[in-house]
Amino acid sequence: MSFRGVVKTFGDVRAAAGLDLDVACGETVALLGRNGAGKSTAISLLLGLDEPDEGSVALFGGRPEESVRAGRVGAMLQDTRPVPRVTVQELVSFVAGRYPAPLPVAEALRLAGIPELAGRRVDRLSGGQAQRVRFAVALAGNPALIVLDEPTAALDVEARHAFWESMRAYARRGHTVLFSTHYLEEADAHADRIVVMDRGRIVANGTGEELKRSAGGHRVSFDLAGRGAEGLALLPGVVAVEVLGERARLRTDDSDATVVALAERGAIRGLEVVPASLDDAFMALTSHAQEKI
Amino acid sequence: MFDYLRLEVRRTLRDTGFVIGGVAMPVMMYLLFTNLGGGDDGGWKTASMVGMAAYGAVGSALNTGGGVAEDKVTGWLRQLRVTPMTPREVVLGRALTGSVTVLPAIVTVLAAGGLVNGVRLEAWQWAATAVLLWLGSVPFTLLGLGNGYRMTAQTAGVANMVCNLGLAVVGGLWFPLALFPGWLRSISPYTPTNRFAQLGVSVTEGRAPGLGAVAVLTAWLLVFGSYAVVSYRRSARTV
Repeated sequence: MSFRGVVKTFGDVRAAAGLDLDVACGETVALLGRNGAGKSTAISLLLGLDEPDEGSVALFGGRPEESVRAGRVGAMLQDTRPVPRVTVQELVSFVAGRYPAPLPVAEALRLAGIPELAGRRVDRLSGGQAQRVRFAVALAGNPALIVLDEPTAALDVEARHAFWESMRAYARRGHTVLFSTHYLEEADAHADRIVVMDRGRIVANGTGEELKRSAGGHRVSFDLAGRGAEGLALLPGVVAVEVLGERARLRTDDSDATVVALAERGAIRGLEVVPASLDDAFMALTSHAQEKI
Repeated sequence: MFDYLRLEVRRTLRDTGFVIGGVAMPVMMYLLFTNLGGGDDGGWKTASMVGMAAYGAVGSALNTGGGVAEDKVTGWLRQLRVTPMTPREVVLGRALTGSVTVLPAIVTVLAAGGLVNGVRLEAWQWAATAVLLWLGSVPFTLLGLGNGYRMTAQTAGVANMVCNLGLAVVGGLWFPLALFPGWLRSISPYTPTNRFAQLGVSVTEGRAPGLGAVAVLTAWLLVFGSYAVVSYRRSARTV
């Protein structure tokens, strides 16, 4: 799958402002970003539900519509409500029947973790159950690519675990998975690669480790103990400074040099050095958006 | 596409609103209207039977559009767009669903006429009435689809109800035209519902449907058909 210079504008909002992205077969990729970062737009473009204003989107070497017609794609869309007056079995077997080489319905339900719901009406399930039905619908056709738009948005912790278990089982069969999320831990834990989006752009693209490194390797925090925070940004290694009350938090790509410099200033009360979290990385990558808020 | 038709017909038949409004209501109204006044006016029992079957068919046909509007809201239409089904198959499947779901209303009202009200017709007349009412309901399915693709679920529901009641009353499906004031009586023949019922009435009187009825209905078929196509095109960009 590839995006080349893709631009999509809604009114005066640039939901995609020049996207370039490649995903290889068999990869599991997370699309990470805040609400409104352009994730759903990117997914709509990928599925052929929307046409780009500029640039091109290709799926399996062709136009997205062609791949969808050929049954190579399954999707779990955002903001869909359960289809009224139909049972899980009827719905999943109907969707499976549209594809050239579907999974047996029982297999799809098992993978989605809902074999016991087959006879139930879709519109009478709990939110978490309905979400898994949508997952079963996405994978029913046994497509080479499944696209999941915020698949865990309505799930509680337990359901979320079960869901990722299912998703991984599907990915292990050699299928390509693209999912969007605004949960960092999910992206880090379940994807081979994370693509960070912000305001219609891709601001980072790599493994969780790479993102952490690119955003500054460690976080050094200490008590200011009455001193000001002036000059901290100029210390060796420091890439960002944050002051929370009496405590300063420096993000640094050379924690040793930073700590030595701090020691020279005598500013080591309550000193703590920890590896930067993905949260830090995410904040750093999308910080300009933060400044505006 | 047959699978889609089967799925949607199932979903429609499970809709309590459809079963009550589209099937039970016309039957009850038929039995009520024809038995309240007493007397044995056989002609009215037959004419009203066709009128109410037509009314039920129109309601069921329009209901198809309500289903489309609902599918738009729930995202089901959008989900279908990411399956290998083509948009053409989806629209055609929906239109066929409409033409299948009008059958219960037609059959039940005709059955009530024959079994309860003692309407006597030749076998071919029963069959021809049912078939003509079935075919004649197509314009109304298209009107419903037009509303469904264009409007939100709530608006489409209201619009369908207004179309249904308005066209039924003005078209003379509920009361004989003879009771209408002159100006209304002169409008009535131009309504699709009036001509729709005429298809059936002429058969029960042993005649072939008049050219006028066929012409007016065909005109409405074209109007509602274009309306459905335009509405669908407009919604295709947003669904």
